[in-house]
Amino acid sequence: MSRRRGRLQTRIARHIAFAVVVSLVASALVLVVFRHRGVQRNMERSARTYASLISTPLANIVGFLGSGGQDLLDQQVARLRELNEDVERIEIVSVRGRVVLRSEVGEVVVYEDGVDAPRVTDLDLLHAISGLESTASRVSRLDGSRAYRVVAPVVSQWGRHTFSFVGTFSYDRVDQELRSSLWLSALILAAGLGLTQWVSVTLAGGITSDVEKLREGVQRIQEGHLAERVSVASRDEIEELAEAFNLMADELLATIRRLREANRELETLDQTKADLVANVSHELKTPLTALRGYLELMSEGGLGGIADEAQRAVMVCRKNVQRLSLRVEELVQLSRLDRFTALDSTREDVDLSSLLEGVFETIKPRVEDRRMEFVLRVEPDLPVLEANIEQVERVFLNLFDNAVKFTPKGGSVLISAEHSVHDGRAGVQVRITDSGIGIPAAELVRIFDRFHQVDPSSRRRFGGMGLGLSLVRSIVEAHRGAVWVESEQHVGSTFFVWLPTADVGGVSLVKGAPSARLENADEDRLAVEEM
Amino acid sequence: MARIFVVDDEPDMVDLLATILRADGFEVETDTDGRSALARMLADTPDLVLLDLMMPDLDGMELLKLLRLDPKGAGVPVLVVSARSGHQDQLGTLQLGANAYICKPFSPRELVRQVHQLLANSQGETRE
Repeated sequence: MSRRRGRLQTRIARHIAFAVVVSLVASALVLVVFRHRGVQRNMERSARTYASLISTPLANIVGFLGSGGQDLLDQQVARLRELNEDVERIEIVSVRGRVVLRSEVGEVVVYEDGVDAPRVTDLDLLHAISGLESTASRVSRLDGSRAYRVVAPVVSQWGRHTFSFVGTFSYDRVDQELRSSLWLSALILAAGLGLTQWVSVTLAGGITSDVEKLREGVQRIQEGHLAERVSVASRDEIEELAEAFNLMADELLATIRRLREANRELETLDQTKADLVANVSHELKTPLTALRGYLELMSEGGLGGIADEAQRAVMVCRKNVQRLSLRVEELVQLSRLDRFTALDSTREDVDLSSLLEGVFETIKPRVEDRRMEFVLRVEPDLPVLEANIEQVERVFLNLFDNAVKFTPKGGSVLISAEHSVHDGRAGVQVRITDSGIGIPAAELVRIFDRFHQVDPSSRRRFGGMGLGLSLVRSIVEAHRGAVWVESEQHVGSTFFVWLPTADVGGVSLVKGAPSARLENADEDRLAVEEM
Repeated sequence: MARIFVVDDEPDMVDLLATILRADGFEVETDTDGRSALARMLADTPDLVLLDLMMPDLDGMELLKLLRLDPKGAGVPVLVVSARSGHQDQLGTLQLGANAYICKPFSPRELVRQVHQLLANSQGETRE
């Protein structure tokens, strides 16, 4: 940012300087051109006046003096020449074109009626000489320079027109005037440039100092000083911009306050919810404990024998209390998971083989009267996982329980665990394959959603609130794992759970060669139960 | 026979626990108030305490702390009964000096098993 600071001033200064220089140059040029024209017009006018004034006296001098008194002639002509500073050559020419008198600088030649007298051959000039009107024209000379030529008729007192005056005037003085004007303009321009530099930088600084103030204000706010405001009193767009900016900062501050307030409310609400769930679970679990305890005592004869009818009723009660207990526990788990993050959960090393075995043994009694094949196959040397043991246990409890629940009598539930690489990370994959009723394709995506059940009537048939699978997904995802399902209706479903291996020094360990795994798996059936 | 002290603010729970334990032949004393229970336990130390965590006034955690501070109550095995099933809650209770933890809703058989185990452990320690 600092590298760009001051560039704006330079840019504006450059624009100002450019504008000033262009106008200076333009006005100088205009002035020079006008001045030049004026000078030239003056010179030509005085040349014409001069010609009309001296044509007759000069002709008279020639007439009176002839070539007899050369000195006097020279003197007289020189005096006449002095009347005009631009005059170069003056001639008296007869209307037939014969030069009678010619005066160049410093010399006067008078031609008698001799043969050596030069003649005018230029037709235009001859025409002008023979005319009765004064004419003037700009002519180019052989060497390329310009000249002004004035022809004035000399009319005698008897009205005869025998001679004409031809004056040639030089533009040297005009050109010199032009050159000196140009030099003067250049000099003024040079001085102006220096002045422009200073003026433009000062002017630009006036503009950019406000912009700089604005920038500093923005930076202060950006650094977190949200209460800071920008004050610019330039009475223009920049001040307007500063005001708009201040308004935006006000709005920002208000929004941040509102968000903080909302966040505090949410935190309070979250805490209230957690407290509520804790209390509810206590309120529900205590009566459930009393129910369960007495029902078990009754059915096991602890309170004296009861009739068979009553015994059946007690069993129904026990089953339903069990169900209620499970649901309550699910609710508690779910509410805890909502607040579960990778940071605040306790992780420990988990031996997945023994964990799966434990869950398997828990579920096993449930399949005993259903003539089902229920098999657990665990690959040897499974890596240690870093996980929350309680939650991972719940994942498999839910999945095994689901598989058994949705598989009819005589079906099979096969569970296997093996090394697996998922998305380039090492881990363990557990497959739970059942020969149950399956899941319609349209439902496959949604079954992990909270409170979702494939068939609303299944709530009655199979129990549960549709929380089980959403709990599974929440736990697995909190462990940076993945869970998915493949299923075909009336054939069965396979649930996959993949959990990452505990990182050792940031490197995932993959144990065992992949090719050797499946062969080992068959030999190492940890638990096989066929009925 | 071993004497067991049951503390729970719910009369029904106290009744159930007492019934289960008496059915197994234990001598049972009960109290539904934490403060009076603590006073009684310190006056006449039982062989084992069954303690509910959530109680009004003096709750189970506080009671446990006070019990452990007194030399008479320091060695009594305590089995905590709680509705909280979280790993953290269990750990916290054990750190405060409870010997075991049982979650509601539990089965009477599981309760009796745990009680027997705790008593066996504490007798083993006393003999040493």
